[in-house]
Amino acid sequence: MILPTVLGFNLVFGKGKILHFGQEAFAIVAAYSVWVAVVRYQIPFGIGLGLGLGLVVLVALLLAWLSFRLEADGFGVMSIALHLVFLAVVLNWQSVTRGSLGIPKIPRWELFQSLEAYTLLCILVVIVWVVFILWLDRGKFGRNLSALAEHPWHAQSLGINRKRIHTIAFIIAALGALTSNVLLPPYIHILTPNDYGFPAMILFVMIVVSGGPGRVWGVIAATFILMFLKEGIRFVALPPDMIGPVRLMLFGIILFVAVWWRRDSIFPQERKI
Amino acid sequence: MPILSVSGLSFSIGDHQILKNISFDVDEGEVIGLIGPNGSGKTTLFNVLSGFLKPISGTVHLRGKDITRAIPSKRAQMGIGRVFQNFGIFREMTLEENVLVALESLSKDQRGELGDLKEVVKGTLEMAGLTQFAKQKAGSLSGGQMRLLEMSRTFKTGKDLFLLDEPTAGVSPKMTHQISDLITGLKKSGKTALVIEHDLPFIGKICDKVIVLDVGEIVLHGKPSEVQKSKELQEIYFGADPTT
Repeated sequence: MILPTVLGFNLVFGKGKILHFGQEAFAIVAAYSVWVAVVRYQIPFGIGLGLGLGLVVLVALLLAWLSFRLEADGFGVMSIALHLVFLAVVLNWQSVTRGSLGIPKIPRWELFQSLEAYTLLCILVVIVWVVFILWLDRGKFGRNLSALAEHPWHAQSLGINRKRIHTIAFIIAALGALTSNVLLPPYIHILTPNDYGFPAMILFVMIVVSGGPGRVWGVIAATFILMFLKEGIRFVALPPDMIGPVRLMLFGIILFVAVWWRRDSIFPQERKI
Repeated sequence: MPILSVSGLSFSIGDHQILKNISFDVDEGEVIGLIGPNGSGKTTLFNVLSGFLKPISGTVHLRGKDITRAIPSKRAQMGIGRVFQNFGIFREMTLEENVLVALESLSKDQRGELGDLKEVVKGTLEMAGLTQFAKQKAGSLSGGQMRLLEMSRTFKTGKDLFLLDEPTAGVSPKMTHQISDLITGLKKSGKTALVIEHDLPFIGKICDKVIVLDVGEIVLHGKPSEVQKSKELQEIYFGADPTT
């Protein structure tokens, strides 16, 4: 279920080469705006979804605007800051979000009450999202984004509007986060801020780097493998306090191997005479 | 009416003034050479003309329309094409995609005039003599081939005014000849170009007029034969009149 948000993030960070670490900011805004509205204030789901959609698009526009104003490294830091600000709001605005307790009893839609039906719905939505991303990736938008990533000035001198393309990329990343965070809480019946911390962002970066930045199928495969490892480790006979550190070590090794495997593109060898 | 009219253009970074009150007109169908020593402001002038740098004063008009504040992509869609000093080729894309990305970025009217895009892609690769590499990634081409692809792509995308920044830099004499033919073909088809070059015989061969820049100012302006003979040019390039 994290695939839509990861593929959206891959579009900005992987294909667009924009130093964006604020994907979880979209996720927090999406999840909390929709489910606080629906569960805490009994607002109909359609209106809650509309509210979530409006707010994530606003955050996408804010991040896009910041990316045009700041240098790449400054934007990277600012996007992390934005994520942490939203997380702090969620943790401290207890009258609305219930802070670290999270929001329980998140309902499923009537037609999809059973786990099987709901899983099927999620799979269908994710397939539609993957097809949409592949269509974007292989079409004019994907080419424009790649061109801007490789040579921003050259691409613009051909007529590619950088602000328009990058803003669309941010909006798609935000919609990916909205899709994932509308689907996941009803699946587990709870929305908790623990799922939106910085480690989740690190996981996204790791998935994109190990799958190949910008490569849709690579990122899909990496999502399945890494999520399988992340969740599968729960079933290994380890003391509960060991699972976290072992998981971190495992991810560290995977990241190291991924970077080592791609060392020629990440650290090109200097030519000497 | 000139196709390009530059009036009182100045540009500076902090206290350092790089372009000082530059004014000139370019008529349709002309090829104008822009020469001057390193640091004279030639590439900066191109960056201002293509919208990447905003001037502190002065105006740029394209076909009478003020484009001084227009963004680069808008200027490209209005008909300004540019070839950069470093190769403007997208190495991770195939040759076909390199041409297609340029065609897709044109305005609807420009695309309509070109007709079937697949045929234009084919024609562009034929023009560059690179048809056999159509499906290969552009990163596998040699420097000269990249330059030919970039120029053919720029020329085939329905632009009216071309800014060519050192098109023969780093290419073999044979490729220089091919590039010269491409520019001559462009001229014959009534297109307009501004060419930055250090190769004076090349400039003499392809240009109608020459503008000489030195420390951000136009110091000479005239026909290539006149400019090449002038003592000022010798002094600017060689530091002194070599005949003395």
